[in-house]
Amino acid sequence: MSRIIDVLVVGSGLAGLVAALTAAREGRSVRMVTDGMGSLAISGGCVDLLGYAGGQRLNDPWSGMDLLPPAHPYRLLGASRVRAAVDMLLQCAADQGWPLHTAATPEGAPCNALLPTIMGTLKPSYLLPDGLDPAALARARRILVAGVHGLRDCRPALIVSQLRRYRDWADKDFVPFMLPSPLGATHRSLSALDLARLVDRPRGRDWLIQNLRKHAGQCDAVLLPPICGSRADASIWHELNQAVACPLVEMLSIPPGVGGLRLRDALLRELRRHDFELVENARIIRATTDGKRCTSLTALAAGQERRHTARAFVLATGGILGGGIELAPGSARESVFKLDIPVPSDVTLWSEPEIFGNHVFSRLGVRVDGEMRPQDDSGQAWYDNIFFAGRSVGGYDFATEKSGHGVALATGWQAGRMAAATAGKFHEPASGEQL
Amino acid sequence: MLETTVVVIGGGATGMGTLRDLCMRGVPAILLEQGGLAHGTSSRFHGLLHSGGRYAVNDNESARECIEENMIVRRIGRQCVEETEGFFALTPGDDPAYVEPWAEACRKAGIDAQELDVAEALRLEPNLSPDIRRVFRVPDSCVDGFRLALHNAMSARRHGGRVMTYHEVTAIHQRNGKVCGVTARNSISGESLEIACQCVVNAAGSWSGRIAGLAGLDVAVSPDRGTLIVFNHRFTSRVINRLHPGADGDIFVPHGSITILGTTSTPTERPDDTTPTCTEVLRLLDLGEPLFPAVRQYRILRAFAGTRPLYTPGNAAGRKASRNFHVVDHAEQGLEGMVSIFGGKLTTYRLMAERVSDNVCARLGVHAPCRTADEALIPDPDQAMLRRAARYFPVQGLQLMADRLGDDLPDVLQQVELAGRAGESDGNPLLCECEMVSLAEIERVARDPSTHSLTDIRLRTRLGMGTCQGTFCSLRTIGALVEHGVPLELSPTDNVRRFLQERWRGLRPALWGTQAREMELGRAVYAGTLNLDGAANEQDN
Ligand SMILES: Cc1cc2nc3c(=O)[nH]c(=O)nc-3n(C[C@H](O)[C@H](O)[C@H](O)COP(=O)(O)OP(=O)(O)OC[C@H]3O[C@@H](n4cnc5c(N)ncnc54)[C@H](O)[C@@H]3O)c2cc1C
Ligand SMILES: Cc1cc2nc3c(=O)[nH]c(=O)nc-3n(C[C@H](O)[C@H](O)[C@H](O)COP(=O)(O)OP(=O)(O)OC[C@H]3O[C@@H](n4cnc5c(N)ncnc54)[C@H](O)[C@@H]3O)c2cc1C
Repeated sequence: MSRIIDVLVVGSGLAGLVAALTAAREGRSVRMVTDGMGSLAISGGCVDLLGYAGGQRLNDPWSGMDLLPPAHPYRLLGASRVRAAVDMLLQCAADQGWPLHTAATPEGAPCNALLPTIMGTLKPSYLLPDGLDPAALARARRILVAGVHGLRDCRPALIVSQLRRYRDWADKDFVPFMLPSPLGATHRSLSALDLARLVDRPRGRDWLIQNLRKHAGQCDAVLLPPICGSRADASIWHELNQAVACPLVEMLSIPPGVGGLRLRDALLRELRRHDFELVENARIIRATTDGKRCTSLTALAAGQERRHTARAFVLATGGILGGGIELAPGSARESVFKLDIPVPSDVTLWSEPEIFGNHVFSRLGVRVDGEMRPQDDSGQAWYDNIFFAGRSVGGYDFATEKSGHGVALATGWQAGRMAAATAGKFHEPASGEQL
Repeated sequence: MLETTVVVIGGGATGMGTLRDLCMRGVPAILLEQGGLAHGTSSRFHGLLHSGGRYAVNDNESARECIEENMIVRRIGRQCVEETEGFFALTPGDDPAYVEPWAEACRKAGIDAQELDVAEALRLEPNLSPDIRRVFRVPDSCVDGFRLALHNAMSARRHGGRVMTYHEVTAIHQRNGKVCGVTARNSISGESLEIACQCVVNAAGSWSGRIAGLAGLDVAVSPDRGTLIVFNHRFTSRVINRLHPGADGDIFVPHGSITILGTTSTPTERPDDTTPTCTEVLRLLDLGEPLFPAVRQYRILRAFAGTRPLYTPGNAAGRKASRNFHVVDHAEQGLEGMVSIFGGKLTTYRLMAERVSDNVCARLGVHAPCRTADEALIPDPDQAMLRRAARYFPVQGLQLMADRLGDDLPDVLQQVELAGRAGESDGNPLLCECEMVSLAEIERVARDPSTHSLTDIRLRTRLGMGTCQGTFCSLRTIGALVEHGVPLELSPTDNVRRFLQERWRGLRPALWGTQAREMELGRAVYAGTLNLDGAANEQDN
């Protein structure tokens, strides 16, 4: 029989990690149960806060918050809570030696940065690790654009041709360049993660440095795929930059998510400084409730069931992709408590003909109040000690807004706080609260 | 101004088959197709090379044609056919009294239908419903309609024929009651082109009524829409038909690693009314259940629709309308030199082409006999060539690739060998893992003058048709093409956007289960990470 913990977090995506951190920093005991690594492991290492609202690209993400619909998680929370969440993440990341920062306007105000991708497009994002900081590119006249033989997802010629289509980039000089495969003349395909793991080791760093040095000399900056190490180790980054003697900038890439894995690494390290336990490869299959309280969740791992009893619960189970939301013809529901999510019965109405249109399905999720408690149709909380966070929450479309990690962060922070507070109340039965 | 003897309108199986037939008889001909190769129904159909069993009772003549052509197409189009055989299964909902007349009709048409023990049938097809009552095996097979059209085109080219894609016929000219030429519009450059000719063959499928209209003729062709569901799983290795009078949603056809269930049948005004609906998908799932009880558990990959060219003199509609074909010589209506081919099935495309060509040749005084049933569309590649190719292509995908490429195989092989020797390449990586499509193949297809977009490449290579539905391979492909200096019509980002948009059309009506997850991933990658949506307004030109 395992001990009763304060806060049980389900899911280890960004929302789960942030919720766990927030609760742990308030002194609660936290256990995280998860059956996968979440979207973080396949996404970039930047935190998009809000890139587009009201049909406009935002230079200042905060200025767009008011343009969002009332049911948007940012609106439910209010901008000041979102700011507090951002501050907490900045603090934790810095404590782990993996600092994040924002770009700044000429007046010095924080703003969105435009990050180059391996498709040669630019994406607005807000919190960046050093490796993604595009400042050096803005100053550069001549940019080396590097790919690697065997890395099929990154083609310098494509990147150059598409970057040139942006006005600010049209006049720059680009030098496309293919690094030889570190595996020699074999024809094996490589992913950015394979390469990043190689670069974790000195031999791999040598390979990268030697090859970049050949060309970087004549350039003001080097643009390369996310291969500069797979962990949140800033020393690797600094070593590479110094040895190549030219600022390096990584591009955003498609899965696997090297950048996301580094952020995950930093947050897990920070979590381990607290009363925190991680249970992996375990899937929550059932909830035990008592009126408006949840008492335990049952996990299935390697064919064995295990009950996890806690005082408060954070459900950061992700969306349609993560497994937190299940769609069937004509219906949608949350996957652990089987909460019904209202949808039109005609599936045709779930989406628009345009792939990047304004779809019902991409905003589907659990309806919550400002404290992240799930609500029924009449606005009543289903349960008192359950909090949802991240993509499992409805009301926003992270893909077109560019708000994925931002919402995960803000809602995770709030869910973690509320869970910590709720668990705290149960510690003090003298207060007269019903357990 | 171009000049030829015959202009064939329509680049589906029928038109390509006709072009090939005419060229093999020594008649100069040009084929015009408004879209890419097999833009119409020949790439939007069920893929069943009918044994004829489905038509045996109602239309024994059609059934006989099917079985004869079925045997011919297997022989001449080996690369396009997967010889699977088929079952006709009687479910508890079907009338047992239909079985004997059906078996008798099959015998009469020459279709070898053998009854099989139900237990044995279930052993062979374990996913089939255990409730089925009787099972017959028939020589059904599966056919790739796009490839059939392509290989006919390759064969026609070898015999001097010319195929012009993206050329829409906009006018048919006549002088003194005789056809004398056509005008076509190049849909890419917008330029128009005049071709002088003595005969026009209207093989425009569901559009053939409109083509007849261009010549001032009024004919009864009405498009009839059919929707199909593609599952990401080969849960049957045979074609499975319900043993009853043909109806909706009663056939499952396996193709490679997928299975297709269909179809529906509803009259429509527009030949290009090909967007499937959710209602149709749900209805097909209902209808498919008696044969495969777990049909709802299989992951749906996409849905698609095509339109049948039903020839409807006398207003028979839907399933009642004849599936047979009709060659109409418009001299009867006062226009000499114009022949239309209406209706029919893909299975009998060759026969249809033969009949039209007979008609045209008679008018031209050409006496050469039809040879299309004797010569293979594509000569088999020799073993030495395949051994050479094995050094550059994954062995598991080698035969598939050779079959896809047809006449282009030697060329592709030579290119990789050259690049390999020069040491300039990064090998020949697979760009699409689901369908095992390598860079060299894609590059060859992309350089083909008939290729204009990623979607054209998809049709030729099956790129992006598998599990990932293009999420990873479309980006890789466009990157490799830019790197290798192969230009396409649209910009790389627009090309990928359009490709994803086309896939989206097939995903929308079945947006649940695993398919919805795949869709959220696709949007996360292309909008969430690569900002393809935002870039549309932010990039110049
Ligand atoms: C490919 C991709 C790229 C992206 N790129 C960016 C980007 O560059 N910038 C950005 O800001 N955002 C990006 N996003 C969006 C962002 O990653 C997500 O919106 C956000 O991370 C969602 O986090 P989450 O924690 O809510 O869910 P997820 O990350 O999906 O995590 C859900 C977790 O719950 C677990 N789980 C689910 N059900 C159960 C259960 N029953 N029992 C146990 N565990 C369970 C899963 O295993 C997983 O660990 C991207 C998303 C994707 C998919
Ligand atoms: C849902 C469905 C399932 C089917 N399943 C089967 C099956 O399993 N087995 C079977 O044997 N048959 C099947 N059929 C029937 C078969 O697909 C068609 O009969 C066959 O593909 C028709 O070929 P086609 O060449 O005549 O027409 P199409 O392939 O439609 O070719 C006509 C071409 O003409 C072109 N065109 C039109 N207008 C112009 C113009 N103005 N200028 C230039 N070009 C023009 C079009 O773009 C088109 O490509 C099915 C049909 C449907 C709808």
